[in-house]
Amino acid sequence: MLWYYNTMASVSPGLCSKNTLSRAQRAKEDGDSESTSSSFSSSDYNDDLEPEWLDDIQKNGELFYLELSEGEEEAALAQVTANHCLSTNHVRFSEKEAEVITEQTNTQRRSSRKKGEPTLKKLARILGRKRRPSQRKGSKDGSRGKSNSLPPASILKNQPGQRQGMTVHQRRLKEACVYLNPKRLASPPAPLRDRGGLLEALLGVVHRPAWTAGQKDQWEVRTEGRLTVHGLIPNSPAIKCGQILIGDVLLAVDDVDVTSENIERVLSCIPGPTQVKLTLETADLDHRGGPRDSSTVHKMKASPPVSQLVRLLWGEDTAELQMAIGHIPHIVMYLSLKLDSTSLQEEEEILYQYPMSEASSQLKGVRGIFLTLCDMLENVTGGQIISSSLLLGKHLVHVGYWKEHNNLLVVGLPAERVPLLSLQTVVGDVVRTLKVMYGSLDSAFCMADHAPRLDHFFCLFFQQLIQPWRLREGSPPSPVVSGSLFLDGLPAVRWLTLPPEIKMEVDTVLSDFESSDFGEMSEDFFGLRRLYVILGSCLFYKSYLIANHLPKEDLLDVCLYCQHFCLLPLASEQRLGQLVIWREVFPQQRASGGGSAAPGFTQPKGRHFLLIVGLRHLMQCVLLEAGGCASPALASPGPDCVYVDQVKATLLQLEVLEAGMEERLNVPSAPCLSCADWFLPAATTRDRLDSLASSSPVFSRLAGAIRGSPSGSRGRSLFGERSRKSSPQRSLSDSGSEVQMDAGSAAPGLSPISTPDSARRHGGRRDSLGSGGSDGSGGSGGLFKMPRMKHPNPFYLGTLKKTLTERETEEMYNTIKLSSGTENTLFHYVLMETVQGIFIAPTHREVAQLSGSIHPQLIRNFNHCCLSIRAAFQQSLPARNRRAADRPQRSCWGLGPVKEHGVLFQCKPENWTDQRKPAPTMTYWVIGRMLLEPVPQEFYVCFHDSVPEVPVEMAFRLSFGLAF
Amino acid sequence: MMMVQDGCIQLLCLTASSGVPLFTRGASKQLPFSVIGSLNGVHMFGGGQGVLLSSCETEGGGKVVWRVFHDSVMLIAVSGGGSSGACSREEEIRLQRLLENVWHCMVLVLGQDELVNLRNVERLKRDLRSCFCLIDQLLEEKQQGVLGNLTHCADSLLPPNPTLLQEAVDGFAQAADSEFGCLFVHGKIAAATEKWWRLAPQEVVLLSALVRTLSASGSASCDYPVFLPQGSPTVAHRLLRFQLLPGADVCVLCGPTPSLHRAESELVGQLWSPLVETLRSCLSVGERSLPGSVPLRPDVLALLLINRETRRSVSCVQLSSYHLLSDHSLSKSRCWELLKLFYIFSMSRYFTHEETLCVSAEDGAQGGHTEDFLHGFSHQPQQCYLVTEECKSYGLQTPRHQLFLLMLPSVPTLALRTVATQTLSDITSATAF
Repeated sequence: MLWYYNTMASVSPGLCSKNTLSRAQRAKEDGDSESTSSSFSSSDYNDDLEPEWLDDIQKNGELFYLELSEGEEEAALAQVTANHCLSTNHVRFSEKEAEVITEQTNTQRRSSRKKGEPTLKKLARILGRKRRPSQRKGSKDGSRGKSNSLPPASILKNQPGQRQGMTVHQRRLKEACVYLNPKRLASPPAPLRDRGGLLEALLGVVHRPAWTAGQKDQWEVRTEGRLTVHGLIPNSPAIKCGQILIGDVLLAVDDVDVTSENIERVLSCIPGPTQVKLTLETADLDHRGGPRDSSTVHKMKASPPVSQLVRLLWGEDTAELQMAIGHIPHIVMYLSLKLDSTSLQEEEEILYQYPMSEASSQLKGVRGIFLTLCDMLENVTGGQIISSSLLLGKHLVHVGYWKEHNNLLVVGLPAERVPLLSLQTVVGDVVRTLKVMYGSLDSAFCMADHAPRLDHFFCLFFQQLIQPWRLREGSPPSPVVSGSLFLDGLPAVRWLTLPPEIKMEVDTVLSDFESSDFGEMSEDFFGLRRLYVILGSCLFYKSYLIANHLPKEDLLDVCLYCQHFCLLPLASEQRLGQLVIWREVFPQQRASGGGSAAPGFTQPKGRHFLLIVGLRHLMQCVLLEAGGCASPALASPGPDCVYVDQVKATLLQLEVLEAGMEERLNVPSAPCLSCADWFLPAATTRDRLDSLASSSPVFSRLAGAIRGSPSGSRGRSLFGERSRKSSPQRSLSDSGSEVQMDAGSAAPGLSPISTPDSARRHGGRRDSLGSGGSDGSGGSGGLFKMPRMKHPNPFYLGTLKKTLTERETEEMYNTIKLSSGTENTLFHYVLMETVQGIFIAPTHREVAQLSGSIHPQLIRNFNHCCLSIRAAFQQSLPARNRRAADRPQRSCWGLGPVKEHGVLFQCKPENWTDQRKPAPTMTYWVIGRMLLEPVPQEFYVCFHDSVPEVPVEMAFRLSFGLAF
Repeated sequence: MMMVQDGCIQLLCLTASSGVPLFTRGASKQLPFSVIGSLNGVHMFGGGQGVLLSSCETEGGGKVVWRVFHDSVMLIAVSGGGSSGACSREEEIRLQRLLENVWHCMVLVLGQDELVNLRNVERLKRDLRSCFCLIDQLLEEKQQGVLGNLTHCADSLLPPNPTLLQEAVDGFAQAADSEFGCLFVHGKIAAATEKWWRLAPQEVVLLSALVRTLSASGSASCDYPVFLPQGSPTVAHRLLRFQLLPGADVCVLCGPTPSLHRAESELVGQLWSPLVETLRSCLSVGERSLPGSVPLRPDVLALLLINRETRRSVSCVQLSSYHLLSDHSLSKSRCWELLKLFYIFSMSRYFTHEETLCVSAEDGAQGGHTEDFLHGFSHQPQQCYLVTEECKSYGLQTPRHQLFLLMLPSVPTLALRTVATQTLSDITSATAF
């Protein structure tokens, strides 16, 4: 994978014409594919030759191409350089990974070699751009790179390059340490060896003696036998070390001079995994990166380091992550139930296994238990085995089972990460993801060449479950992963409601795209059948679904895939330079023949392909069908440029709307939230009150304004007051002592502004609903006539009296109450629409704004509790709306169907040091309710205990009357 | 084809080291030997590899739970799931409790020595037969109103005039040269000496179960040797039981003296005959377990109140004509079933068990992990409610008490909390429970 930034701005809809080649044509021209690809790309892009992902397409047509935007990517490079000593120490698990990637890329290289010219140009650009930062790094680090010092004499003696004395290229020597492991060469097919030899296979340096002739640089022409680096293999030691650049010349390995004649011999002498020192001659290209130098460096420092997640997705570094959880028992195995007792081969019943750590080997050792239980229990209790619990030393491990035909999938997970309640959902989801990707478990696991990809798949799977904080930057290690367990386990996708005008535009753009009306895709363009029918697409903005034109089940399939590969957080945390994913998928609904087939209608038997394209913060997932109406797909077609470009064009078109979406994210969402910390008297509450008091005139004015304009259409009120949106409002009341409060400044005054805003909105909505006969809202002002004033919560009583007179207290109390609306005590909520497969919850940003010390705990607790509540709902409603691949279920819930379930929690501030007084407490409810009529929905809310009961009911009705 | 019927539990007992079956109990047909062997085999195989298999779940709520006690006896419970009611998570807790109870029951009858040092398996098999009626009682859970097996809190009955009975029990125990005396009414403890309450809660529950089986046999009195699983697992005591009235039994735990005959002829008549009327009024409290002076709201269907300090519990189901008028009339047994299920539901997810009074440290590790879900909460759950089609349930926990209530579906959800807190304060203030 080349870090290469393509300025997509040059692509616009309609530009990419003439490059369409039907698959048939493609096949014909397969022989000289390089000419077609280069020709069409050069005609399309001003500054580009071919789509940069073309090299990453794998043999089976699949593509996973991820490229960060410029800033991120520079940082990545720096990070890799800095870390290389760390990361190269463990290669155990990356072995397999790298092995195959090397293999794949080698095959591509074989073909791409033919198009030497464009590739080289590209590489040359990288060379120009990249070398500055990395070299800088090298020169700073004196121990590793002696780039600026004089080269060692021993090497200098026979350096022809030194004598050249180029005027432009100032040659320098540098050293790089790389970690090599000859053992991973065990399996690449023989042909590769004679292509690139060990240099390519082991070190990852591409050297093409033939190319030298074509080079313009004279100094290379003159030097036969010099090992010029013409390319680097992705994920190879050479590229990981970050110091070997294209254009460098390899002079020595461990101080042994090397040339193209002896390099293979020298490398073959490396007996086992070891670190070697490479001496390279490098060109100093000061003049090329000059003008942008300072800015680049600046950016590099400013931008956060590339997250582990990206590196994991790139296929790097799995070893280190995997080592970190090596002691925690976890395993996935695919076992054959057909035991052939005559065969003497050991472990032949293990069709697949991951990982190979010590703790998992213990689980592997007892696979006999799993097989026996699966075989036997069906007869004993009359049902397939679902799970079992084992104790490994101190670790409790839950094992989930999934039987398919004669094989058994076994997933073992530590109980402290995945409670038994959610094990079934987790296993069901992973099975469904695999089925979406491969069609069936058998086809996923029984193909030998899938193994490395499955390793990667399960590495991601376990990392996300066991140490998710390693993947996300900035989130602290927390012992509980309930949040992701609950939200990811919902058969729904997180939805962001957009203001109607933006929503309409988004939908129009998507519909335009889906109509496949663009010139060359229409059938009469070439007089050929189109390649694919677009079944639908969905659009994500920063991990929120903003538009969906897919049927629910397809949406869930796509979403499961995205979730598994962490694509959604990726797009929200980092700006994607470009993401292109292409693969054949097996949508579960379509595979099973479709639920409600009308008489005479049969699902077209086609093959389906998933195309995901991401740009910046937008990501579009498109489901394509070949066969059926479109021409049938042959073999394993790779991504078609036309479709990819069209999606990109769509995304670029949508980028115009990004500002509106961003604005929507900044505006607090409909039900206004409060932070749990506000209800606990802490050290800072006094500050807060003081500041509030000082700005109380502002409040009353606002409150008055609200009273004056209680109505207004929802759409208008959502975005009517853009000027007033102010993001950091609520954070000022952080319980942390770091809050520096400046009572006089404008900042404290901002705090409640969002609240009137939403209260107003709320008023508008209430009106509309009230007319619909909602029995809860007594009068027009019923919502706001604070019945709650009779229930002062401890917060107000405790600290206010000390600082304020009674009258002031009363006044301020009123102001706050008036401005806050009913849901002032609402902490968190999740609403799931089962039919559409979407859910809404407060946005990440909103939650971040409420940052307190208790609040994150509360949300964790909420999620954990919701796991239990939802489990109760699920158990009482078997086999309904289950996202997990279908599993026949008998009803087994003795308590009967659950409609509503609530739990009251009490929290105390942590580290309460005051011995004399008992710690103050705050109690809050977490309530889940399931509705079947009129549309199946599930609500989960979390609010403070002091809410009088009627508003709770109203909160259920009103705050969730959100239009989807 | 399934071997364990829905809702039935099969209990298998084997020697841990050699896998020799000691006995199997359970309503459904006995499992074939090959299955028993496999069930034992997988556990043994895992043990050899350092992996302790503890439970297993199948579709439809079937469940298998393994447990080894003192490295000598292996108990396996197989539940057919289905109509037994609970989802398997709840079922697991029930089965874990069952296995513990069965083991303690075996110790109670035979003593720990005989069970741990398996010298003669054939003899042990014969001796174990004496536990069967007690074990069967644990398995069937037929007796309504008895939740102690589950809660490990002694089922109590709050008599209308507790001081009189307390004095009588104290006096009787003293006269019988014992510190442990207890009066059972309808199988529940109406009064007991202080020392009796100091016994481990599990022992109290087991002794209650034993007294119930003994009194069900119909004899007026008996002298039964018992080992106390916690207090004296190796030295037997004598349990003397006397029937005072049908439904009212008194018993003492004592040493070699007095003889049954002497106690029966001299002490019982002398000390208890003046109290017959008191006993009758106590019997009339009946299944409500609460004296009539304690008001219960009519919309309360069933309640279970646990005192967390004394490890006692009071439970009752009240089905009056008022309830029968409503549309959903629940049968009494269904109410008990729902109460049990709700108790397990709440305890397995939200509330804490005080006692982890397990057989021993290493055995405790096997059973103590059912609450893994509980540890995931960052804040302490206090109350919870569940609205189902049949009824509304409310559970609350205070430092002293745990209360589980079933209410009519007609009660508004908002009022549940008020009803629950009010019921709790009503009972505690009226009876000082």
